[in-house]
Amino acid sequence: MKNESVLSNTVKVLEGLGAVVEEVKDSEVYLRATRESVRAVAKALYSSGAYLRTCAGVDERELSGMLAVYYIFGLDEQGVDVVLRVLVPEGDPWSASIVPDVPAADWCELEVRDLLGIDFRGRLTKRLVLPEDWPDGVYPLRKEFKYDEKPSRVLREELPEEAGVPVGPYHPALHEPEYFELYVEGEKVVDIAYRGFHVHRGIEKLAESQRFTYKQVPFLAERICGICGFVHSSCYVMAVEKAAGIAVPERAEFIRSIVLEVERLHSHLLWLGVAAHLLGYDAGFMHAWRIREQVMVLAEYLTGSRKTYGINLIGGVRKDINTEKIDRVLKTITDLRKEFTELVKAMLAVPQIKSRASGTGVLTKAEARALSVVGPVARASGLYRDVRKDYPYLAYRRVSFKVPLYTEGDNLARLLVRVDEVFESIEIIKQLIDVLPDGSIMVEEYDIPPGRRAVAAIEAPRGEDVHFVITGVGRPYRWRVRAPTYQNIPALRAMLRGNPLADAPLTIASIDPCFSCTDRAIVLDVKSGRMGVIRLK
Amino acid sequence: MSSVNIARALRAIKRSVWVYHLNSGSCNACDIEVLDALTPYFDVERFGIKLVGSPRHADVILFTGPVTRESLPKVVKTIKAMPRPRLILVLGSCGVGGGIWWDTYSTLGGFKKLEELLRDNGVEIDRVVYVPGCPVRPEAIIYGMLLLLGLVEQKSKKAEVIASES
Amino acid sequence: MSIAKILEIALRTGRVTRRYPYEPPLLTPEFRGAVKIDPSKCWGCGACVKVCPPNALTLKPAGKEVTLEYFVGRCIFCGMCAEVCPAGAIEVTKEFELSSASLDDLKSRVIHRLTRCSICGSPIWTEAELRTVVKSSPIAEEYTLVCPKCRREKLVKAAKLRLGAGSE
Repeated sequence: MKNESVLSNTVKVLEGLGAVVEEVKDSEVYLRATRESVRAVAKALYSSGAYLRTCAGVDERELSGMLAVYYIFGLDEQGVDVVLRVLVPEGDPWSASIVPDVPAADWCELEVRDLLGIDFRGRLTKRLVLPEDWPDGVYPLRKEFKYDEKPSRVLREELPEEAGVPVGPYHPALHEPEYFELYVEGEKVVDIAYRGFHVHRGIEKLAESQRFTYKQVPFLAERICGICGFVHSSCYVMAVEKAAGIAVPERAEFIRSIVLEVERLHSHLLWLGVAAHLLGYDAGFMHAWRIREQVMVLAEYLTGSRKTYGINLIGGVRKDINTEKIDRVLKTITDLRKEFTELVKAMLAVPQIKSRASGTGVLTKAEARALSVVGPVARASGLYRDVRKDYPYLAYRRVSFKVPLYTEGDNLARLLVRVDEVFESIEIIKQLIDVLPDGSIMVEEYDIPPGRRAVAAIEAPRGEDVHFVITGVGRPYRWRVRAPTYQNIPALRAMLRGNPLADAPLTIASIDPCFSCTDRAIVLDVKSGRMGVIRLK
Repeated sequence: MSSVNIARALRAIKRSVWVYHLNSGSCNACDIEVLDALTPYFDVERFGIKLVGSPRHADVILFTGPVTRESLPKVVKTIKAMPRPRLILVLGSCGVGGGIWWDTYSTLGGFKKLEELLRDNGVEIDRVVYVPGCPVRPEAIIYGMLLLLGLVEQKSKKAEVIASES
Repeated sequence: MSIAKILEIALRTGRVTRRYPYEPPLLTPEFRGAVKIDPSKCWGCGACVKVCPPNALTLKPAGKEVTLEYFVGRCIFCGMCAEVCPAGAIEVTKEFELSSASLDDLKSRVIHRLTRCSICGSPIWTEAELRTVVKSSPIAEEYTLVCPKCRREKLVKAAKLRLGAGSE
């Protein structure tokens, strides 16, 4: 912890408001608050500079006899997670909502409501994650619900057609099903509504089921998202290793970091191509993906598969790097750097790209702070947030790199942040290879005691990815995934309002949305079925 | 009746297939590989393949995903909008067998289950080809498409062997 | 001029297309394709079935036989089955041209015959497993054809006799 006195002062203030310290670990502090006092405690924590990372609902009846809501805050400057636990009795499931003070908790509270049935007082609620035809009163995350139960459909009334411009769920510009409704007045967008969660597959519940053990969940985690899958799998194993106290060999940490940076390269190049395509510059799309292909071949050579690498296991990695592979990595990134520099120069010299991207989709610093946005979206709006610097993990303590920061908050700033990150990634990979230590890549044996908790976070290409694990017997008791796009989508409303309709596709794409990360699982019941979703097609 | 349609359609579209990409809740790895097939290293435009923006213009639908509960009505509507003959190329382990989450509360379990549901509702599918992979390689997508068009021979064959010492 | 820049890059790069299927695919030596099960080595133990995340490998008992079925349609190509197989019967190949017009063609089966207990007749283990166990450790043949339950009863009976409880 970087600054003990600041942290203990903060904890003292929170204790004064009714919070009780449960557990203090290396970089995590667990507090308990009552459901009435949680709002004041959260407000004090937020105003002391903490960011809300996520909140998770847990059916703790087997552990503590009650349902629980965990609010996970992060004090970036100290590199410490502060976890607030609120216990809620099953017979009277409600808790005070913290959303009036911390708007960033909006979606995750709705998710807890949908999946566990805990009501939040002091805010508007609606169904978020579960499909429209899900019956009321059936809560998938409760332990009595079997993961493969399929409740029958409940048909609700068709919503009246709004006079909006539908974008989705199946639209040529988007590769994933999502549904945005843009309400327009003439050419200007005045409001948006979003209906996502088409990709909800029940992953969190599946990991708790008999079909899975600790060892097999990394493969499940990798398929949460096909673009940033390795991030999810690494974050899961890091959380379990943290909870169980397993010391991973250094060489394995380095290998994980190298593959993470390789994934960042492929993801940013992918995004650059898609952004060029949306701006009408198809030549840029083809060249960006041509350059990206070598990164995919490199990933296959290192790990065995172009995507969904499958090399993470608890306690280490499955595949080692030899000198041939290292030479290949160096050659690929050196060629990549040269070609990428030329491509960016050529792209930014096109006058349409610069003029369409600058000044559009602006997200101010205040809005970004209130919504706790993450990743390049935050860094383009002036917030200096990067998990690799704030909560160093794996081998990032051993390398030095810059974090790009821009203040305009428009689409061009987000583009430039990603371009800079590609160059930084190349430097990081070079340094990692230079100081790669020898040794084994897997621990000899390990033991995972049940009932332990841990929070782990990784800087994915899209932002901060947070995993929260409570260990059980043989498999996780609860596994919560908060993907970066989940945190960034609510910011779209601020970015799209007041802007011309023609800028909407680029703005939506500029947060680099990854809807499969967002929807990964959890179904929540929504009682009212009130939705203002738009259809893209 | 439908077999005559298929043969005639395949003859007509063999050199220029218009595909529509339908994602029923997949993780996107297969979808990114579909896009990758358009890029210079694989370049499916050599076969005349082009992505279209509406299922009404499509000759073949590229289907990914395990059919999540939320996307089911929209997927049904989209396939209904496709004109006959309906040729579907199912990509990836999610579409072919339901994937790693084939039996959860939120998924239907892959394309086979969807086909049965569609048939019960009067929507006929004329030809399906399954492409395993996780994610599917662009080359595997090309191979699958050529198989659908009848230009290559199928390699996979059902095998049943008795375990013995030999 | 902006067009000149991108044209220059394109002209310099030339054609990168691999004209698959007329040219070889973009494979590396590490690629994990479908797996192949060697029926002469497989024991039918089920270690691969336990570790397979999507349940692409299943063990289906049916009367006198138990069938190991590999459904490549649900396979995620992780290679864990090859890693845990104690008999070394699973090999990861580089095969990716697996498309098929029917789901049935994507299933391959290895059928194991089960040995039955000479006393009670219930199935014990596969003939392949039996062969391997007998090869590697000296066990009297009569033990291998008796199921654990009957073996326990036999042992208890023999112990009682030894301790002089008389024949019961």
